[in-house]
Order: sequence, then C-alpha cells, then structure tokens
Amino acid sequence: MKRLLSLVLVGLLCVSILGTVGIAAEKKGKLTIWAWDPNFNIPVMAEAKARYQKLNPKVEIEIVEMAKADVEQRLNTVLASGAREGLPDIVLIEDYNAQKYLQAYPGAFVDLTKAINFKEFAAYKTELMTLNRKIYGVPFDSGVSALFYRRDILAEAGYKPEDLYNITWDQLIEIGKKVKAKTGKALLGFDPADGGLIRIMMQSTGEWYFDEQGNPKIVNNEAIREAFKIYKKLMDSGIIKQTSGWNEWVASFNNGDSAAVITGCWIIGSIKAEKSQSGLWGVAPTPRLNLKNSVNYSNLGGSSWYITARSRNRQVAEDFMKTTFAADRDFYQKILVGQGALGSYLPAQDGPAFTEPDPFFGGQKVFADLAAWMREIPPVNYGLFTYEADSALMAVMPDYIAGRIDLDTALQRAAVQLENQIAF
Amino acid sequence: MTEKPIKMPNYGRPRWTLSRYHRYGWFFISFAVLVLALFMLYPIISSLIMSTYSSRGMIQRFVGLGNYQRLLKDRVFLQALKNTLIFFIVQVPIMLLLALLIATLLNNKDIKFRGLFRTGIFLPAVTSLVTYSTLFKMMFSLEGLVNKFLLNIKLISTPIPWLVDPFWAKITVMIAMTWRWTGYNMIFYLSGLQNIPDELYEAAKIDGANAYQQFARITVPLLKPIILFTAITSTIGTLQLFDEPTNFASGGVTAATIGPGNSLLTIAVYIYNLCFKYMPNFGYAATIAYVIVIIVAILSFVQFKLAGERR
Repeated sequence: MKRLLSLVLVGLLCVSILGTVGIAAEKKGKLTIWAWDPNFNIPVMAEAKARYQKLNPKVEIEIVEMAKADVEQRLNTVLASGAREGLPDIVLIEDYNAQKYLQAYPGAFVDLTKAINFKEFAAYKTELMTLNRKIYGVPFDSGVSALFYRRDILAEAGYKPEDLYNITWDQLIEIGKKVKAKTGKALLGFDPADGGLIRIMMQSTGEWYFDEQGNPKIVNNEAIREAFKIYKKLMDSGIIKQTSGWNEWVASFNNGDSAAVITGCWIIGSIKAEKSQSGLWGVAPTPRLNLKNSVNYSNLGGSSWYITARSRNRQVAEDFMKTTFAADRDFYQKILVGQGALGSYLPAQDGPAFTEPDPFFGGQKVFADLAAWMREIPPVNYGLFTYEADSALMAVMPDYIAGRIDLDTALQRAAVQLENQIAF
Repeated sequence: MTEKPIKMPNYGRPRWTLSRYHRYGWFFISFAVLVLALFMLYPIISSLIMSTYSSRGMIQRFVGLGNYQRLLKDRVFLQALKNTLIFFIVQVPIMLLLALLIATLLNNKDIKFRGLFRTGIFLPAVTSLVTYSTLFKMMFSLEGLVNKFLLNIKLISTPIPWLVDPFWAKITVMIAMTWRWTGYNMIFYLSGLQNIPDELYEAAKIDGANAYQQFARITVPLLKPIILFTAITSTIGTLQLFDEPTNFASGGVTAATIGPGNSLLTIAVYIYNLCFKYMPNFGYAATIAYVIVIIVAILSFVQFKLAGERR
C-alpha cells in the first residue's frame, strides 16, 4: 500500500515536472477577459484571441461582454470584498479611472514594467497607468481628439481646409457664425450637460482638475476658467444645435444639421454610419485655448487592459498581451480597418492601414494624421477623481450658462463640492 | 425557558407535553430565524459598523460618527435629499389623488367597458422600468413626439426644453412616474371600494348628499387604511427612486451629472455613484443608506399619526 502511494506520488511529480517543461514550450490554461462595447472592444479582443490561439491552440480564452457600468460594478465589488474568486484574468479599464483602481486596490493588478517595452506606446498612455514608477497596464485605444468637419458646408461659407488648422476656439466660433449666416447650419451639436469638451480643452494645456500632488485645482485653473467661458460663448453665439444625450448628438451630424464635431477619434464609426455623406467629411486638429501652454492636440476617453494579480494563469495572460497588443503590427492594421480602433502602439503606425487615403474623408489620410497628432498629446496624470470633478463642475454649469452666477462663484461652489466629495 | 412554561390554557394534557410542544415550536421556526438572521440581521448590523468607516476601495479608516458629520456639509447629498423630497411632496399626492379619482369613476357600475378602462390604466404598471423610462426620454426629447404635438396644436411656440432644463427635467420624470404608478395604486383603491356596501351610498343619497359629499364623507374615510398603505409604499418607493433618474440621465455623451445640473440626482442614485461610479466609499454609502431608513421611518410614523390609525 505504501509502495503504491509512493509510486503514485512519484508519478504525479513526473507529470508535474513534465507539465512545467511543457508550459515553457507550449502555453495552456484558460483566460477570462471582461470588456464592454460589442462594436469596438469585443471584436478587437476576438481578433487578438484568434491570432493568439493560432500560435497556442491549447489556450482557452473566454471574452465576457458586459456594459461598462457592470464591469466597473463587479470589479469594485469583488476587489473590495477581498474575495479570491470571481475576477477575470484580464480586464478593460477606462483611462480616466485607471489611477482610482490602482490606488484603491493596491496589489490587485500585475506590474508590467519589465514585461513590456513601454517606449513603443504613446507617452500620454503610459503616464496614466504609472504609479510609483511602476507601469501596470497594456495601453490600448487612443481617444486623440480632432475637429471633424463637413467640407461642403465649410466651402459654402468660404473656408478651405487649411483655414481650420492651428486655430483657437474663439476663431472657431467666428467661423461658426459665418457658417450659420451663409448656410443656416449650426456648427456643432452641443450638449451643455456634457463635460467632455472641458476635458479636451484642459488636456490641450497639459493641465487637469488636480495639481501634481493630486489636490483639486479648480478656481485658479486657467484652463478650466477658459473652458467655462467658451461653454458660455458657444451657448450664446447661436452657432450650436443644442442636444441632450448621445443619440441626439450623433443625429445632429448624421442628418446634416451641424457642420462639424469635435471629439475623440472613436466617433469615426458613427460619422461613417451615414453613408450618404461619403466624401464630404474632413479632419483637422483640435482647436486650442487662448493660453500659452495650449496646443492643438488633445484626447477624450480611451481605455487599456490590465492583468489581475490573482489570475491563475498570469504567465499566459502576460504572454497573450505581449504577443498581440505589444507586438503584432498586423493586428493593429486589422482592427483599424475593422473597428476603426486607433491603437497607441507606435510601431504599428507606419503600416498600410494607417497610410491609406480614406475616400469617406475626401481622400485624406485620416489615420496617419490622427496618429501624428496622437504623439503630440500632452501627458496628464488623470488622478483619482476625474468623475467626481467632472460632476462637480457640470453641476454648476447650468447656473453659470444661464447667467445666474458668475465664473468665480461657480468655480468656488464646484471646488467646495469636490473637496467634500473626495474627503476620506 | 423550558421548566416554567408560560401560563397557557392547559388542554388537559400533562405539563411535560406542553414544554415539549414549545420545544418543537422553537425547532420549527429556528430555520426561518436562522435564515432571517443571516440575510437580514447580519447585513443590518454589518452595514451599521461599516458606516463608521471611510474607505477608498480596500483602504479603510475608522471615523466613528465622522461620516454623519460629513453628510451635513455634503452639498451633493443635500441636493439629492432636496430632489428626492421634491419628488415625494409633489408627485406622491398628485398620483394618489388621481388614482383615487379614477378608481371611484371606474367603480361606477353604469360605465360601459369598465374592464377595458381598468386594464388600460393598470397596464403601465407591468411595463419594465427601464423600457418605459427610455420611451419617455425619446418622447420628451427636444424634437420628440410631445414637443411636436404641442407645437402642432399651437399650444406652445418654441419647444419646451424637457430634458435639458433642470426644472423641466423634474417635471418630465414626475409625469413619467405618474403614468407608471397611478394604475398600480388604483387597483388597491378599486378593491377597497368594492368592500364598501352600496347601502351607505343609497342612504346618503336619500339624505340628499351630493357626489362630492359622498366621496368625502363615505369613500375617503372607509378607504383610510388603504390610502395609508398606498401612501407608505409610495413614500418608500419615492425615497428609493433609482431607475427613472438613472435611465433619464443615461446615454449622455459622458453623462457627468444625473440630469441637467444634477436636477434628477436622488439619494439612491447617489449611493450607487458613491459605490461604483466614484472612488468606492462603501462606508459613506452605508451611512446614507441609514439616513434613508431613518427618513422613511419618520415619514411613515407621521403618516400613521395623520391617518389616526390606532393599531
């Protein structure tokens, strides 16, 4: 009996040694991945999965699709409860929230500083996932912002594409007034409750809602002050078509009511959805603020992949990310064409998909332009409380726009609210 | 507990059977008590303890009553409280009065197709909260059905900013809630009305009481327990209002606030945001949950007193 037992043990040992040797040569195991957006992140991940499984057929990969709010809710609940089960191996996290997860749940995500060559990614993307000089994620899509405009409408108002380069927001508003007068069209669809434009304006100066120490910087923040003034100017100028929510906003340019849209490059899919407008669109850099440190390049949104520290197949997960998102140039061409996903992996950006002229945009090499602008985005540390700050500012915006309170009162109110909101 | 049994009528059995009788009783309810303790009592106590901590994800700090002090200075909380109370004070009475009126009308035996009308008015109550919120949002958009209709019948000259203006956003949600919940409350009133004997109305008629007097002197007093019940459930429902504001505010480009200028932010939505949208602070969220409990308790007590219910 004893002998049998020892035989079994020795046998097990041999198998496990063989197993470890086997892993070195061939990866196996199961990876679970959480992400949102069935039109964007999910097919991108599916493409990565197909490519990786061709090389490693024994690795099983399950992509779980959830709404973004659900991913965040589940992640928060499981991490806060300290449970050892229930987390995926790889999870998609929005860039604005990255520091929140990294700092609120220390040790929950794998440090990838040595595993991945971060010099090959856009600088601003690695900055936002760095904590104490360690880098925790694999940068994914860029939300490089741009001014997307209707060539035909602007030509009717007497503007050439060059006139839209290197301009300020004030100049843009003047252009908008002329467009309105000549064509009767609004320049922008604009939702005054949406803080996205503030973030675009702020990042164009390299500033954020917080200073380097992470303390709120609201009242004395020149970028925010300018941004607020421009929101009011936009509302008062009559060049906007007021919208409420995503659908109305997208409709405003799809049905031709507005001549331009300023937002992250992920909007391209929605613009192209209106096929009748093919050839009529153009892309120019983002307008800048009337401030010395403001540039014509900025960002809105974007997200990145993170590997959880409790993953049973951590090595496989790292290898998966390394061989796809941090190496496969061809992969990036495929998802650019398929999903319009502009990755922040720089070596991929001289590939064929990036340098091809796009007939929808009148033959402009849209992605080559966007990729070039992406490199110029000022790096910003988004800090822990982007959504708290956003909500505090947008809560006072209606009163400010309506003229019920002046700028200082508005920002002071927002600052007090934010201060209380982030108290610990 | 076992030896000296409580004085109970002795049904001619010896004493020891009584105590065993008790023991069986305790044994049978012990399962329910255990489950109740595990899933009700434990969370209640645990969240009370939690409310004395402030947290950032995994990092926790004991603050004692600090969270409760922080509440008083928290403008967002105060705004959420104000919004919730406005919904409660304006919407609940209108809805209950409407439900009572419709129930009285539909209780009239002379009305044809009563069943059809009853079903029609009750039907909204079976629709999903998310679906109806989304539909109302579409109908009340700037160029939606409602504005087009009002413009076409020349009632207004410019579209009403239903969802864009803080004031109108609240009105829109109240209209939606009234549509959704009036029929639900009406059903309770209808069943109550059917228990009021016709003789009372007959006698009143003979005494020369008009329709209003019959309504105010007979219907309302006899329906009092049911009115109290609907008032309390509506109060609790309104204080926990979550689905409507969330869905009305969702789908924003980035949706920073709940409704324009946070005009739709309710306490329940704020609790959700504190847990999942902002830096997760479960301790502070638990504190606010306790505040809701206290408010509901106070309001229910007041309603009991107002209704003069003795039990």
